[in-house]
Amino acid sequence: MELLGVFENVDDAAAAVDGLIAAGCPERVITSVTSVPYPEGVLVDNTRRSWFHWLALGGALVGACAGFLLAAGTAWLYPLQTGDKPIIALFPTGIITYEFMMLCAMLGTMLGMFLEMRLPDLGRRAYDPEIANGLIGISVTVNGDEMVQRAETALNSAGALRVLNDEVS
Amino acid sequence: MPADRIKAIAASNEAMLSSTRPANWRWYLLAFLLGIVVATGLYAFAHQMLTGMAVTGINRPVMWGLYIINFVFWVGLSHSGTMVSAILRLSHANWRRPILRGAEAMTVFSITVGGLFPLIHLGRNWTFYYMIPYPNQYGLWPNFRSALLWDMMAITTYIIGSSLFLFLGLLPDLAVARDRATGWKKMPLAILALGWRGTAQQWKTYARASTLMACLVIPVAVSVHSIVSWDFAVTLVPGWHSTIFPPYFVIGAITSGVAAVITLMIVIRKAFRLEAFLRPIHFDNMAKLLLTVCLIWSYFYFAEVFTTWYGHKPIEWEVFSFLHSHYALPLFVMLLGNTLVPIPFLMWKRVRRSIPALLVISLLVNVAMFTERFLIIVPSLSHKNVPFLWGTYDPTWVELSITAAAFAGFGLLYMLFAKFFPIVAITDVREETEALRGESQRGRTRLATLVNEE
Repeated sequence: MELLGVFENVDDAAAAVDGLIAAGCPERVITSVTSVPYPEGVLVDNTRRSWFHWLALGGALVGACAGFLLAAGTAWLYPLQTGDKPIIALFPTGIITYEFMMLCAMLGTMLGMFLEMRLPDLGRRAYDPEIANGLIGISVTVNGDEMVQRAETALNSAGALRVLNDEVS
Repeated sequence: MPADRIKAIAASNEAMLSSTRPANWRWYLLAFLLGIVVATGLYAFAHQMLTGMAVTGINRPVMWGLYIINFVFWVGLSHSGTMVSAILRLSHANWRRPILRGAEAMTVFSITVGGLFPLIHLGRNWTFYYMIPYPNQYGLWPNFRSALLWDMMAITTYIIGSSLFLFLGLLPDLAVARDRATGWKKMPLAILALGWRGTAQQWKTYARASTLMACLVIPVAVSVHSIVSWDFAVTLVPGWHSTIFPPYFVIGAITSGVAAVITLMIVIRKAFRLEAFLRPIHFDNMAKLLLTVCLIWSYFYFAEVFTTWYGHKPIEWEVFSFLHSHYALPLFVMLLGNTLVPIPFLMWKRVRRSIPALLVISLLVNVAMFTERFLIIVPSLSHKNVPFLWGTYDPTWVELSITAAAFAGFGLLYMLFAKFFPIVAITDVREETEALRGESQRGRTRLATLVNEE
């Protein structure tokens, strides 16, 4: 179950994170939910490694190959001799390869970003629309009645305005 | 006082979303007027399609007229939006924040308008798909040696890239707008926000993706205008066949783009009462940027002219003399708007912080840049290598109507965008004030601090 404590200020939210850790919740199941990005460590330490840039790199390689094959490959497959000019024109091939490479790198970046963020998120999540107005959410995913109780107590004792869960939010 | 803080943030959100409030009669009137101009342009285009290219002023030898001038101008205008935004993002220039969205939207709409002009210029517009490589029964295949194919690839890449960059910047703001929306707007905003919540992981990935996209979009922007310049430079037309053209085009594009961003900032500030966010410091910094690019443009122009003058190659000199004798007034307008006015005036802080003065200068720069595109294209084609084929060019009402429609269409698209989406980058602005700014005691005083985004 995901619990979301909503706080009015950063200090209370940070205290809630400390309280949750003290209550036995591992830091990896705790996250902040905010409408602006806070610097690393102000609320939670996010140690998860990012991998989406590999998809951007993969996109660039695929794009470069596709662009090269489109411009040079088709010229080679269907040769059209013009004077003594080469069948494969290097300069245009370079341009088409470059543009395809950049296009696919950007598409790869966006695709990777959405996959890493797990968006679009169609599931029901604990959320408070007032977060858009500056409230700060601290979310924790816990299992078992006892852990849920301890997490809720930690959030409330840190000064949460309300505690929501993914079933009632 | 936490409650006061929340109230202040809610008020700040409300102010930054002011453009999305229900439209008043002035908005509808302006949209109607712009719509009429667009409709006139569509009529002119339909007339051209039904009658043929003879209704335009293009002729032998001036085969490229107002359409290609527009194409180069609009592609140039699109440059600065995404590029300036990306450069300022990468350099962590904090003053960038209120400007980003307006600049990025400008890029998307101006490249969209610009991309239409080669299609309008085609003549038999309905065969435009011949440029797309796909297996077909006609045995047609695009010739990648043609610079027009490079244009198509580059512009497609840039439209997609800058649209993605705009959407990326919008994503957290769409969530803010979703959470505050009521009525019919809530559902489309919820769909576009994709379920964004703003978890620490999402913000971390978002920041990295923004940086990576900024790194990718800058070389694409440079390549687009370099390729547009090669449309000219790879030909043997006197006045065009020059190695300086790609950087000269790129800096010209940035000049017109920066000026357009300033103009739009002034309009947005006034129309949506964003004085609290678009402050004199933002105009001052953008004006410094404009001054810098005007200096670089002037240097490039001088280098080009000096080389031509010193070489005195007969045909190059013929084009040059023709330009100076027949187009003296446009030439003066170009130099006035790009060099003689902005460079001396923007050196003064008082001018850089004066909104009316900046409005005049930024508009003048773009008038000059449009004139520059005219002076690049028409005189060179008028006096090419074969003297018995020399001629001149005068645009007709069809071309002028379509040009007016392009400006009106751009304005209309921008108005519609601002009506449905936040025109100020809400989370970027709030990030600075809420998450990065602070105070620390130093000696006997408290100093304002700003956390480095690194």
